[in-house]
Amino acid sequence: MEELILELKQEIIKALNLEDMTPDEIETDAPLFGEGLGLDSIDALELIVLLEKKYGIKLANPAEGKAIFKDVATIADYVSKNRKK
Amino acid sequence: MNIAVTGEGIICAIGADKASVLSSLRQQQTGIGEMRYLRSSHHELPVGEVKFSNEEMAAQLNLPADPLMSRTALMGMLAVRQALLEAQVNNALVNRESLRVFLISGTTVAGMDITERYFSEIQQSDEHLACLKTHNAGADTQVIADYFGLFREYTTISTACSSAANALILGANLLKAGEADIVVAGGTEALSVFHLNGFNSLMILDQQQCRPFDDTRAGLNLGEGAAFVVLESAETARQRGVEPHAWLSGYGNACDAFHQTASSENGEGAYLAMTEALTMAGLSAQDIQYVNAHGTGTPNNDQSESAALKRVFGDQIPLVSSTKSFTGHTTSASGSIEAVICILALQHQFVPANLGWQHPMADGIIPTLGEDHTHLQNVLCNAFGFGGNDSSIVFTADKSNHNSPLSIVHSPLSTLAEVEITSEDQLDKIRDYVKPLEARRMGKLMKASLLSSLKALKEAGIETPDAIITGTALGCWENSEALLRQIEEEGEVMLKPTYFMQSTHNTISSNIAIRTHCHGYNVTYTQEGDSFAWALRDAKLLLQSGKVKTVLVGCHEETTPLYRSLMERLGICDLPAIHSKAVVLSCGE
Repeated sequence: MEELILELKQEIIKALNLEDMTPDEIETDAPLFGEGLGLDSIDALELIVLLEKKYGIKLANPAEGKAIFKDVATIADYVSKNRKK
Repeated sequence: MNIAVTGEGIICAIGADKASVLSSLRQQQTGIGEMRYLRSSHHELPVGEVKFSNEEMAAQLNLPADPLMSRTALMGMLAVRQALLEAQVNNALVNRESLRVFLISGTTVAGMDITERYFSEIQQSDEHLACLKTHNAGADTQVIADYFGLFREYTTISTACSSAANALILGANLLKAGEADIVVAGGTEALSVFHLNGFNSLMILDQQQCRPFDDTRAGLNLGEGAAFVVLESAETARQRGVEPHAWLSGYGNACDAFHQTASSENGEGAYLAMTEALTMAGLSAQDIQYVNAHGTGTPNNDQSESAALKRVFGDQIPLVSSTKSFTGHTTSASGSIEAVICILALQHQFVPANLGWQHPMADGIIPTLGEDHTHLQNVLCNAFGFGGNDSSIVFTADKSNHNSPLSIVHSPLSTLAEVEITSEDQLDKIRDYVKPLEARRMGKLMKASLLSSLKALKEAGIETPDAIITGTALGCWENSEALLRQIEEEGEVMLKPTYFMQSTHNTISSNIAIRTHCHGYNVTYTQEGDSFAWALRDAKLLLQSGKVKTVLVGCHEETTPLYRSLMERLGICDLPAIHSKAVVLSCGE
């Protein structure tokens, strides 16, 4: 799981152009949206693209993303259970 | 001055002229269905196509079949021709009376249907390289204007899905200012693989028929088409002996200044645009009998527009419908297509249905399922675009005694500040103004335009200008190219939404509006080398009419290595990688 979490952080930095950040700076349990890192709805869409491309997970409804993208730990948990690749 | 509408032309999914559109509306027959003409693999997505091939449209126009002629231009010519015919405006009249007739077109995607077809090929071969010459929206307008040979001047407005509505607004302002005798204004937009996939990446396309304002709505269906109206003063119409079909009695342009692709929860921009339009028309909310809503069918738009409608109309909401349930969302053309539908409603005293509506949404308005016979005197037409470019127009059945002139005082303009950026090296300075998290998504042109604008405003000592007007010929090409590249390499997969949301020309102006909290007039001109001149001309009109005190005017262009190499092969050299100029203007004291 630690490996997946690190990989996710690296992928998130790339997909969301968080150029100035390192994986260490993204807390695994801190909220990604709103008060936390401050991501927005376009970032949520970018994360949906990331899940599809990297892990073969298709989300049909963007509203599903809300719960899944709560923090990196939640994404890692979801990916490990649903990944197709 | 009362602005008369004396002719209309329309082509869209439910008909290729006014009569057939009227018949489809009356019979509640949608034009949305399976894709036949667009060469996309997304057959699961219903679309509102015009039911002609490009070759068929060219034949109707007596033009030779030309693989480089965009569908946008073809539909535009068909709609303009109908409008001119109905208004009895022709070359003989224009020459005899020396009339100054203008063409103003709203379009955004424009020649992309051709560019995307040859994008791979032109990197290797010269055969279709010339498609880049008609890629730009402004070039399409020129093609339309040249076909008729009666237009004194022409320009293009590109504010995404409110483009055509803003074309009508500019047309009315030019007439009021005495700069034109007759204006043909509207918009045209063809479906493209590019923007179908772009909207898909935003996950706002419904795989079923769209259901605006329904609780189960799951997005929009894209459509295409063109519509143009002939505008002139009551006096010109009287002298020419033509009977106005309706009157353009009020209009408003505002910016939501909230987000690049989402509308604010309380619909601030929409509210401001509607109230401005009502005020100009001298009407109160209760005087409106029908609203043709923007009503795209996305969860966000319909929630936000409902909130705005409730703010304007309180608990006495007039009949409301979104005719996108018939036509699909015709994006840049929707403002004029729906304007013509409003005029049809006034002429025939009926209200078109909001097809497919069944379930009330929480806090949503309840749309009408259509009225065959009703009394309509004033109708309101909404058109909202990405970046919060929101416009509303009021059409009235009879000439009004209320006058809303544009009194121009020819006092000189003063330049409060001017900032120019000519090198990519300067772009890092954006961090002095914007947090890294906020700047991270911006492409080269977004950074340059925001930096020059914020610097200029700072120098002028202004936090929020009254209006923002931008000129750009090519817009955010870097992102468009990235999206084209992605389609070329990966096919029609889930594309990067960040590329798409920055591919429309008005992204520049709306990004600045968001940062400066500017809810005022916001428009983008895209007319090749004249783009900036048109932006300045509009700024001057606004300032000298006293409508605003300060305007931020910009001229922003970028190119990529690939674009420069392609243009060099066309003999166009020395294009700058980046050029951005921001000017803060005021008038009088």
